[in-house]
Amino acid sequence: MHELAIAEAVIEQVQRELNRAGQRGRVHRVELSIGRLSGVNCDSLRFAFDLLAPGTIVEGAALHINQPAATCVCSACGKRTAIEELVVACPACASEEISIEGGRDLLLQSVDVEGPCESSPPRKS
Amino acid sequence: MRIVAATKILKANDQIAAENRALLASAGVCCVNVVGSPGSGKTTLIEALLKHFAGRISAAVIEGDIAGSIDAERIAALGVPAVQINTDGACHLDAAMIAAALRELDLNGLQLLLIENVGNLVCPASFDLGEHLRIVVLSVSEGDDKAVKYPAVFQSAHALCVTKTDLLPYTNFSLPRITADIHRLNPRARCFEAAALRGEGVAAITEWLTEHLNAAKAGAKASAEK
Repeated sequence: MHELAIAEAVIEQVQRELNRAGQRGRVHRVELSIGRLSGVNCDSLRFAFDLLAPGTIVEGAALHINQPAATCVCSACGKRTAIEELVVACPACASEEISIEGGRDLLLQSVDVEGPCESSPPRKS
Repeated sequence: MRIVAATKILKANDQIAAENRALLASAGVCCVNVVGSPGSGKTTLIEALLKHFAGRISAAVIEGDIAGSIDAERIAALGVPAVQINTDGACHLDAAMIAAALRELDLNGLQLLLIENVGNLVCPASFDLGEHLRIVVLSVSEGDDKAVKYPAVFQSAHALCVTKTDLLPYTNFSLPRITADIHRLNPRARCFEAAALRGEGVAAITEWLTEHLNAAKAGAKASAEK
């Protein structure tokens, strides 16, 4: 049930991004990136977001969730395999000499807000 | 317009956690986040560690529970300062709760701060509290498949402590299996075994902690002299 706390953090982070960009328009889309190995259940996160949204800046906003895969890197056969859930052996050669890269990030990717400059370029950080 | 953020969702928590960690480090305090299921033996292990360190190491405990102060009372009975956090339903502690609890503690001269997280193998994994070390407690009656079933928390830990090992003859728990799984998931994690109620296996954990306590003290001294 920590998805409720994650959803709260999403809404707070959206507010910070709006403040930083000096935007006050209505938010109509929020895009998240929730890694496959992050331990966050996206159905629960959606449920929590919909529960919390009314009365906040994200009321009525569509929630879009990307779920990037992780990569299994095998030091025996050298293959890099995209994985959607944790593995303890290389899917290609079954070696256990592997390391797992990525798949754990919880990111607020973008916020679409009603504003004058529809075609503004991405902010460079 | 589209605001491209690419910021961490838990950035606010992570920032407070970094402040907690810096505050504790400057005071020379080593902070340990103890996570595990309800009933895994977190409080009993903490009690055993405190008894072992009694009179030698200055320690304090932050207890996180959904409700009640049973655990803080158990710790206070040992004469150790304890702060109880009630999360009112939340399934994990977060960095802001710890920041508030730290204001209740005298960090002066403190060496070891143990934080007992809310009993849960899932949610605490995502929330950095500002600890220096994370220990996962797993009792033998929970089964030896838990590392593979709940990988995030085991991957985030510095050490695993298998508890209630005196019950091993009554379970099908395999120490070699859990050790092998941990080493695959998290090659750097230390593995300990303890029967904390009997005090068995506790010395090895205190030895490991003592190395970190000494390092925390030396780190604070070095930065104070700069």
